[in-house]
Amino acid sequence: MSDIRLEGISKRYGDFAAVDKIDLAVSQGEFVTIVGPSGSGKTSLLSLIAGLQQPTAGRILIGGRDVTNAAPQARNIGLVFQSYALFPHMTAIENVLFPLGVRGISGSQARDRALEALRLVQLEGLGDRRPSQLSGGQQQRVALARAVVFKPDILLLDEPLGALDRKLREQLQIQLKELQRALGVTTILVTHDQEEALLLSDRIMVLDKGCPQQVATPAESYLRPVNRFVAEFLGSANFVGLSDGRCGLLRPERVRVASNGEGKAARVVEAIYLGQAVRYHLETDDLGSLLAIAPFLDKAFAKGECVVVSWDAADLWPLA
Amino acid sequence: MINRRRLLGMAAVGVPAISILRTRSASAQAKEIRVAEDGGVATKAFQSGFVEPFTKKTGVKVTLESPNPLGKLRAMVEAGQTGTVLYTGLGSVNMLAAKRLGLIDPIDWGAVDPAPMYPEAKKDYGFGHQYFSTVMAWNAVVKAPKSWADFFDAKAFPGKRALVDLPQYSLPFALLATGVPVDKLYPLDVNAAFKKLREFKSHVSVWTATTPQGPQLLRDNEVQYAVCSGSRVVGDPALGMTWDHGRLDVGYACIVKTSKPEDRVAAYKLLHEMSLPENQARYAEIFPVTGPNPDLDQYLPKDKLSTYPASKQNKAVQWLENPQWWNENGEAINKKWQEFKLGL
Amino acid sequence: MLAGSRSDSLKDSSLGVSPSTVHQAVASPSCGEGALLVTRSSGYHFIVPGFGFLIPLLLLMVVVFDAPIVYMLALAFWDKAQGFTLGYYGDVFEAPVYLRVLANTVRISVVATIVSVIIGYPLAHWIRGLGRRAKMVALALVVLPFWVSVLVRTYAWIVLLGNDGLVNRALQWLGLVQAPVSFLYNELGVTIGMTNVLLPLLVLPLYAAMARVDDRLLQAAASLGAPPSTIFWKVYFPLTLPSLAAGTLLALILCLGFYITPAILGGGRVPMISNVLDTLINVYPNWGQASAISTILLVVTLLIFAIYRRIDQTTSTK
Repeated sequence: MSDIRLEGISKRYGDFAAVDKIDLAVSQGEFVTIVGPSGSGKTSLLSLIAGLQQPTAGRILIGGRDVTNAAPQARNIGLVFQSYALFPHMTAIENVLFPLGVRGISGSQARDRALEALRLVQLEGLGDRRPSQLSGGQQQRVALARAVVFKPDILLLDEPLGALDRKLREQLQIQLKELQRALGVTTILVTHDQEEALLLSDRIMVLDKGCPQQVATPAESYLRPVNRFVAEFLGSANFVGLSDGRCGLLRPERVRVASNGEGKAARVVEAIYLGQAVRYHLETDDLGSLLAIAPFLDKAFAKGECVVVSWDAADLWPLA
Repeated sequence: MINRRRLLGMAAVGVPAISILRTRSASAQAKEIRVAEDGGVATKAFQSGFVEPFTKKTGVKVTLESPNPLGKLRAMVEAGQTGTVLYTGLGSVNMLAAKRLGLIDPIDWGAVDPAPMYPEAKKDYGFGHQYFSTVMAWNAVVKAPKSWADFFDAKAFPGKRALVDLPQYSLPFALLATGVPVDKLYPLDVNAAFKKLREFKSHVSVWTATTPQGPQLLRDNEVQYAVCSGSRVVGDPALGMTWDHGRLDVGYACIVKTSKPEDRVAAYKLLHEMSLPENQARYAEIFPVTGPNPDLDQYLPKDKLSTYPASKQNKAVQWLENPQWWNENGEAINKKWQEFKLGL
Repeated sequence: MLAGSRSDSLKDSSLGVSPSTVHQAVASPSCGEGALLVTRSSGYHFIVPGFGFLIPLLLLMVVVFDAPIVYMLALAFWDKAQGFTLGYYGDVFEAPVYLRVLANTVRISVVATIVSVIIGYPLAHWIRGLGRRAKMVALALVVLPFWVSVLVRTYAWIVLLGNDGLVNRALQWLGLVQAPVSFLYNELGVTIGMTNVLLPLLVLPLYAAMARVDDRLLQAAASLGAPPSTIFWKVYFPLTLPSLAAGTLLALILCLGFYITPAILGGGRVPMISNVLDTLINVYPNWGQASAISTILLVVTLLIFAIYRRIDQTTSTK
């Protein structure tokens, strides 16, 4: 287990910067998620850390050791791909034994460790199956076991749950978090799924066009984003003009919707029932369209109804 | 790589079921006949020399098919095909094999009514329509051999040799090299011939499998002396050759066993055209191989008589193949030949 | 079955790797792996709807492909004069010269195939690593000889490697050798010529298999700590092995029937069974003898195929 530092890491192709001067320090045992839309450079950044590509500028330090130009083999990193990248000609346990074998660990010791890793991802008894005989979720767990069995300094996860359906993904997210905590391994996850980022991470880095926008805890990022891009990427957002001319972020769940009282008049354009809440698409006279998420208590306002909206001044977060 | 000829043979074998279904033509007069022949330049010569005058006189069209190996004839007959009536270019040994296997029928010489022919060309089962020679040839830069003894003498005539990879084209020459006179060649002393070949084997760098191979090897200077087809080397300034003690063989046209009677009537008329010296001369103009008419020389250009395998002057210095002997002994000798080739 | 479709598609592609499976389906439909029969998880076999539409095709196959083979096999047991006979086989085994030619053919074929693999595998791997355009050029160059007649290619080798050929003239001009080197008219010449014919047949399926190997598998192996040699032998090579085996087998079987190339480049000094068969079919027409030899050749080929199937099964299923 080690910490990892990125210092001014860039990857350029001619004039185009896939990754642009990124600084990041991940402390030992921390779980950092890199989020961004597709093409934002998050997978490129992961490839640079794993050593699959070489940066055009900057340094990478793992546990204080400069690994910028080290081969992937020399970095002791566990890497999990979205496509699982399991060796199709090997059984599950052979896949998990592979990194131990190349480290000269064999025999019963290796087998015990591989079985322990499979147990950790709840795949006891499936070790003798080939990848083609396993479901997608099972394959992903084998890939995870293979990436942690050799006690890597860093665990890198590239959209590991992206190919799975929602329910399975939620289940595996929890397992992943538990596993990461149990092993205490420094982890960097790449995803485009903001909910996954908020759920799993100690800190989140939001990337746009190769540039880091904000590195902060999930709550900080959500409640106090540094700019409009971060605010829109993490969750839904309303933007309200402030008296000093700046733009203020108003999260939809902070908007109160009432039939009368103090506030601004609005008309319900659409009301979508979400179960525990209702999402309203509203039209106001002076603020334009507004999104609100209100708890569903006894009844909801219907489409076309006139309502009054209001919020606390403290819920407005001024953006730079 | 499956040989093309073998493929054709195999394909023909698959045909019987289909050909039975075909209805036979009841018309007594053939409108078109099919003839198998050598292919290449020979096709052009055959067309111009024989087919054109024949069609002009009879109105019957001729379709030429090639190639014409013995295996294909056997496949055709065993499949019961009735299309091809005349199978030309069968060497004397092959003609006897075809007769032995019952693949061909005797020729109705009365119906052919041929112009005069050499006796070896006028056989019960075969109309000898072409004479071809196998001779010694060399690259013009090396010392010219005068006899087969010279050809097989690597000390006095240094250089690499190419011989034909078939016993009937190699054993007789080896035996002549030991000093056996031409008229005592047959019955062939097989053991003496193989003994000579074994002694000489190290000087043979190529055993040729195709006819064009020998002249090509000489021109590329891959070998200096080669056994070649006479008409393929004569007149080439880069090469030397002699007709002396060359092997002269006759190619026969034969009536295919399963052919239709009305086709045969037309085929005999075609054979008649093939016997006429003026037609043979036109054939030789395109493909320098001559026919069976004893007076043919008069119809050929005087300055070119030395280039034809069977002009009187060249025929006199060569020996005729003995098909009966090979028909009786060929297969047994092929086994010995393979043993010899393997060095056993 | 959340990811059922994915694992199914993987299975399909693993079937696609081995052409023998398709072949087997034609040969013995009862095994239930091929196009005609569908295996359900319950283990029952169902005939595909529309099977009737295949009957004309099957009949054509039987008439055009199978009937001639049966006829060919029967020729060795039938003599016009005597009826049933074992004489042709007797001849083959009494005078074993033909068997020795066959053994020689197998030996040469194995050598040519091994040389083709030694050249073809790295070549295919090299092409896999090229850029898009270079890859197309390289593949075109590999395939190009396909469109040139075997005979022309064979003579081209003489121009290049003959005693008076380009290579020998260059060597002598450079003073490296005194007398021309004998590249041709020996087993070396046959090997060169046969390898030239075989190479595209090996390189194309090998390249296809290599292109299918996901780069991420190799990256995963590297990230797991495997050095390049381990990545090659434990991951890359096993994934290309089925195609290598299939390609090698195909090449070997083709070699057994080579005719014109060994005849010309071997200078006729390297006897091959096809040449013997040609003589027996077209010169002496002793088809019975030819059939007996062909049958033995067929048995040898099927034996090689059986060995391959055995290897294929033990490596692909557990």
